[in-house]
Amino acid sequence: MSDVTAVYPEIIVTAVAMIVLVVDAVLDRRRAPTALPIITIAGLVVALASVFNVVPAGQYFRGFVTIDAFATFFRAVFIILAIFAAAVSPAYLARRMVPAGEYYAIICFSTVGAMTIALSADLITLFIGLETMTIPIYVLAGIQRSDRFANEAALKYFLLGAFSSALLLYGFAWLYGVAHATDFVTIAGVLTSQGIANGTTIVALALITVGLGFKAAIVPFHQWTPDAYDGAPTPATAFMSVGPKAAAFAAILRVMVGALGPLSVDWSAMLAVLAALTMTGGNIVALAQTNTKRMLAYSSIAHTGYILAAVAAAKAGPSAGAAVLFYVFAYGLMNLGAFACLLYMDLEGTRGATLDELNGFARRQPLGALAFAVFLVSLTGIPPTIGFVAKFVVIQPVLDAGMAWLAVVIALNAVLAAFYYLRVVVHMYMYEPEGKVPRLIPGRGLSISLGLASLAVVVLGILPNSIYEWAREAALPLVR
Amino acid sequence: MTHLLSLLVVIPIAGLIPLFIFRRDAGAAKQVAITTTAVELAVSLWMLTQFKVGEPGFQLVERVDWLPSLGISYLVGVDGISVLLVPMTTLLTFISVLYSSGGAIKTRITEYMTAFLLLEVGMVGVFVALDLFLFYVFFELMLVPMYLIIGIWGGPRRIYATLKFVLFTLAGSLLMLVGIVAVYIASADISGSRTLSLPDLLELRGRFSADFQFWVFLAFALAFAIKLPMVPFHTWLPDAHVEAPTAGSIVLAGVLLKAGGYGFLRFGLPLFPFGVQAWLPLLILLSVVAILYGAIVSAVQKDLKKLVAYSSVAHMGFVTLGIFVLNLQGGVGAVLQMLNHGFVTGALFLLVGIQYEKTHRRMIADLGGIANIWPLFTTFFGVFVLASLGLPGLNGFVGEFLVLLGSFKFSGVPLGGLFWGPAAAIGVILAAVYLLWMFQRVMYGPAREAYRALPDMSRLEIACALPLLVLTVLLGVLPQPFIAYIEPSLDRVIRLATDPSFTVLAFR
Repeated sequence: MSDVTAVYPEIIVTAVAMIVLVVDAVLDRRRAPTALPIITIAGLVVALASVFNVVPAGQYFRGFVTIDAFATFFRAVFIILAIFAAAVSPAYLARRMVPAGEYYAIICFSTVGAMTIALSADLITLFIGLETMTIPIYVLAGIQRSDRFANEAALKYFLLGAFSSALLLYGFAWLYGVAHATDFVTIAGVLTSQGIANGTTIVALALITVGLGFKAAIVPFHQWTPDAYDGAPTPATAFMSVGPKAAAFAAILRVMVGALGPLSVDWSAMLAVLAALTMTGGNIVALAQTNTKRMLAYSSIAHTGYILAAVAAAKAGPSAGAAVLFYVFAYGLMNLGAFACLLYMDLEGTRGATLDELNGFARRQPLGALAFAVFLVSLTGIPPTIGFVAKFVVIQPVLDAGMAWLAVVIALNAVLAAFYYLRVVVHMYMYEPEGKVPRLIPGRGLSISLGLASLAVVVLGILPNSIYEWAREAALPLVR
Repeated sequence: MTHLLSLLVVIPIAGLIPLFIFRRDAGAAKQVAITTTAVELAVSLWMLTQFKVGEPGFQLVERVDWLPSLGISYLVGVDGISVLLVPMTTLLTFISVLYSSGGAIKTRITEYMTAFLLLEVGMVGVFVALDLFLFYVFFELMLVPMYLIIGIWGGPRRIYATLKFVLFTLAGSLLMLVGIVAVYIASADISGSRTLSLPDLLELRGRFSADFQFWVFLAFALAFAIKLPMVPFHTWLPDAHVEAPTAGSIVLAGVLLKAGGYGFLRFGLPLFPFGVQAWLPLLILLSVVAILYGAIVSAVQKDLKKLVAYSSVAHMGFVTLGIFVLNLQGGVGAVLQMLNHGFVTGALFLLVGIQYEKTHRRMIADLGGIANIWPLFTTFFGVFVLASLGLPGLNGFVGEFLVLLGSFKFSGVPLGGLFWGPAAAIGVILAAVYLLWMFQRVMYGPAREAYRALPDMSRLEIACALPLLVLTVLLGVLPQPFIAYIEPSLDRVIRLATDPSFTVLAFR
């Protein structure tokens, strides 16, 4: 029985998805757009509460599942992000005739997958989680079926996603060949006893890095990201850019630090270089974008680089893991918020607003613009926002691990990023709304959730201690 | 009352609440902002009276655990160096808000006042923070409001200017952030506990190796040199000043630039004595270059506001020269020069703004003969110009004289003080040239017909300029009380900077 108790949160989220689908089928067409998000959010809140309804830390399902502070942290983050995503969507979905029942159900299913990654103690659980998370996202990317760009986005994402899953699985197979086991603890034990890496483990390591690199959108495996993000409906993009990204890092930590920890000498330098490439590449291309949605897509690649830098600094001890977790949480909040601010714009297709279309946004929707500005300032990393604290806690392990060059690269990248983030603020606040500016969608739910989120970004930026404590505690199980 | 400094940080934030409530009412917004900054000014003056003159250590210290898991605390306090800069900040902010409420700002008043109050939090915070993390937070907090003030209420090229300002400043400060984290890591003792509190760091700075200090001082120095700005990082300054609204220029020149000089004195010098030594020749060279280059470039400016802006570069050159000659005269001169520059250049920007509001001309060639029509304005302007060029009896003289005195005595770099001192002194002569020439072209000659009907300074404008005039004269005639504030703390900073083995335990 206790095995089942351990996965109550996952069961609840799955149930929410089912209920949403059934209610969507039986409910009156006119009532569905308001009822469905309420059901989803209420169900997810219950799931969130159940996350903290602790079962004793340890292994469940014969070692396929582990419940520890790490799993709890990520489960909570995934559910919070799903709630946020569900809260900002209704007005947009109604406007574009996106099937609401499927939409909310997909978000829940994907969240279940992400949660499964967080609690995996075994390569098999992890892979199932990864696929459960990604396959719904392929659907989500193409949910606006009549739109050409949405089709392109879904197809590209699907093909590259399937390809990367295959690589990852192949890497897992090599790893199994080395360790004759699929659970992380045994694998780590075997690798430790082997000492230095040999040809076989290097192949496994390379394949797994590439596979996970695709999932997390690490340069040079990021090619699918801008198109997929751009073509998906904007609220879906907002969710895609944070939920699966956070899950990818949960997977990276579980596999790289948990199972492949003994090889950290081999992968940390490689990940450091990839991190530098990722942040620089993402930022430089983002500089050239005039469409804010695409710009945010590239900027999310850059943020992947910052998080990866903390992973690369794993030898700094628990502070590295804590930095990854804290950054993932902060990034989720501010990036989802930033994408969601684009939902005010009533545009055709899946297109996001161009910079010129944001002209004078601050006059037309003062509170929405303020929230957007707060998210952008936070993404830049300027205090007193959570984004600044996140930068601080990432730079710390990076320097601790003796990679001063990477810390300097992070700092310089933040300046590059400031240019394009603040350019959005320029258009919102410093230009008049002239020429062709799109109509605005009045969204009370959107405004309330964005207001709360931007408040959280500032308050947690001033008082980050509790979150950081939590992140550090959650990172401890990874360090042996 | 031990919470005075926190009160200073909180008052402007508290002012945001009524501002938000009356956000649709421009008149009320002005009232709220004026009241808030006036209260802030009063509290800061009270703080000045609570300060015990003659003690070198930090006073009015408050400490609250902020990020206990990282060993970071909310730690504020003032010593002789910062205690005068805080009232200067609150006074200049009050004057800026008062002047802006007179009609110089016509759109989005509430947002404007919000930006100014937020800016005040950052500016006051920078001068009272004694924890590097807290200092960084306040240092950056100044950035966004000023970015908005220039970008929304500025002149025609405001967007270019404001982005340039932000990106320059941010490039410096983010590298400083890396430096701060490096200090944080190096502060670890055997038990692994780390700190960013300045008093603690001063006790354990012996752990910072010379090589470490070389790099970390560079990271800090870049941030401060860009903020100050030192040549060659000054190029953002003329753009930002020319495009900023008048009140923005006053605060930018009066306070924001000081954060750089103050940062050197508060953190750069005491924490990294080896780093300072290593970079000293370059810093002295750049200071003298700034003095001469600033003066020469000022001389050829056609735009009155740009001329004042470039003169700031020269004046800040005196500040850094005074700091890096590493002796008491130079250091005291540098702090006085920071105060003087705040009052005098702030006042000059105010007067240029007043003049521009009336004539809508800023090109020197378009002006002329103003003395004939605005006697009062000319008097004010004349006094501040004379103070700026260092006339004995006014404040500019005291600061520059002490800096020059310190630099003549100085021998720590190639060529010695007897080369760099006279070289800087040429800057004083050049300042007289460009400022008097400008004054002549603007004030004398035939008055233009178009300006004849324009009124002299209004009561509000006089009220803004008068306190600065009083302080300019007072600091010039009676500098000793001010020096008494500064000297003990500065003496300690100089000893910390010149003697790496000197440690102050119980620095409070």
